[in-house]
Amino acid sequence: MSMSTQHGGGNRKPSTKAVSGAKPKQGGDEDLEDASAVSDVDEIEDVVDETSSDETSESSDDEPKAPARPKAQPRKSAPARKTAPAGKRPGGSTRPVGKKIAPVKVKQGTSWGPIALFTTVGVLALGIIGFAGWQVYENGLSWQDRADRIEGIKDYRKTDKALVDQREHVWGPQTYNMKPPVAGNHNPNWQRCMGDVYTAPIATEHALHSLEHGAVWITYKPDLPADQVETLAKKVRGNDYMLMSPFADQDKAISMQAWGFQLKVDNASDPRIDEFVKALRQNASLEAGTPCSSGDVITETGSTPRDLGKDGGGTGMGN
Amino acid sequence: MGVLAAVLLLVTGVAIGYLVPNLRKPGDDSIDAGFARDMSTHHAQAVEMAMFAFRLGDSEHVRTLGYDIAASQQWQIGQMQTWLVEWHLSPTTSTRPMAWMPDGQNALQSDGRMPGMASKAELDKLKSSKGKNFDALWCQLMLRHHLGGIHMAEVAATKASDPEVRDAAEKMRVSQQYDISQLTELLKDLGAQPLSS
Repeated sequence: MSMSTQHGGGNRKPSTKAVSGAKPKQGGDEDLEDASAVSDVDEIEDVVDETSSDETSESSDDEPKAPARPKAQPRKSAPARKTAPAGKRPGGSTRPVGKKIAPVKVKQGTSWGPIALFTTVGVLALGIIGFAGWQVYENGLSWQDRADRIEGIKDYRKTDKALVDQREHVWGPQTYNMKPPVAGNHNPNWQRCMGDVYTAPIATEHALHSLEHGAVWITYKPDLPADQVETLAKKVRGNDYMLMSPFADQDKAISMQAWGFQLKVDNASDPRIDEFVKALRQNASLEAGTPCSSGDVITETGSTPRDLGKDGGGTGMGN
Repeated sequence: MGVLAAVLLLVTGVAIGYLVPNLRKPGDDSIDAGFARDMSTHHAQAVEMAMFAFRLGDSEHVRTLGYDIAASQQWQIGQMQTWLVEWHLSPTTSTRPMAWMPDGQNALQSDGRMPGMASKAELDKLKSSKGKNFDALWCQLMLRHHLGGIHMAEVAATKASDPEVRDAAEKMRVSQQYDISQLTELLKDLGAQPLSS
């Protein structure tokens, strides 16, 4: 076997010629010639080797032809499919034409099968398109769209552009018309807003700077029941870009602030609080990437702004 | 009939082709999104502490390491936030931190802080520390911070669906591992011990 395979590698081209040349010999004469013809094939394929051992004088006429024809047909019909002019035999060219006619006949005998199939595909397509459309709509909503969907929210970015464009850095105490404000000039130092829960009032001048960085500032009336304060604190603690503090002058029990946005609610269990946070925390930043921490961190309470760094003065750190 | 079928198939194909990339994006409650959000928060405190070190560190080594950590982790925050934008997801979520981690809820500290995160009292103490005391406390807090965060990176590096996320998480894990050995070395030089947890 090892010998025959070694020869087979080198003799492939000549052996195929020998097979085609063997046809007239097999039809004409003896078992000896037939065997020599098969031995050429043997070097190519072992399958032929098995048939040659089972041969009788009658079957030997059929069997060498049988492997010879399948070999010849794919080789000659394959190029014929690729390029029309390559088809040398008429038999190769008539067969594809016959195949083209056949499906047309099948179509003429229309059944309910294809109709059901196309209907199913159609319904599926419409379903997929509908789902895709809904996805596109939901994904296409900007954070501002989502914020504006919250019932009772005030979007000053839409209604009072002059207000939300006021964002100078200024030293000293400022006066704000809104209580609490959602925009305005503010202190160069921002209040730390990494989930900070301040239990005493903080300077609005610092908190506004935190809003500019993307924080959500929750304020509550000092008389809000302790359990509600704790409910709010749980929404703040451990969450970056969040801070909360009491605020005496506001008209409702709880007020939510992001830069340019405000929502006032009566109870800490109001589901719109989470909606406001989800829509606006970090998204409402005017300076993407600015942190709630930094060097000059204001963590102290007290409603008077601390002008750390003013006139080259102390930074409050390490000195 | 044939034309109708062709149109339907084409429309279906286009719709599927449009949808599949959308559906394959990590979802709101995915490991990928959870990691991007929580690691951003975790990193933010590392940046804060590293900036303290850059400003207040006693030794050049501590100041340089602080600069290194602040710059690299702030960059990684931007990387993670960009994923969320690309996935059309909110940068934040109302679910608890580490909800995406197996047993993540139990890993949280009693007041909801993620593992390794310093308390406000600890940060205040750090800010008021000076000299070698500052360096030692900073190394202790930063070491604990890294050890607390590295588990998140490990989970994301193996379980996130997006290969880019897995790759980035693995890089974070490795670089934090190098920081950890540096901080351990620094603590030894300062004659201080790592914090208990």
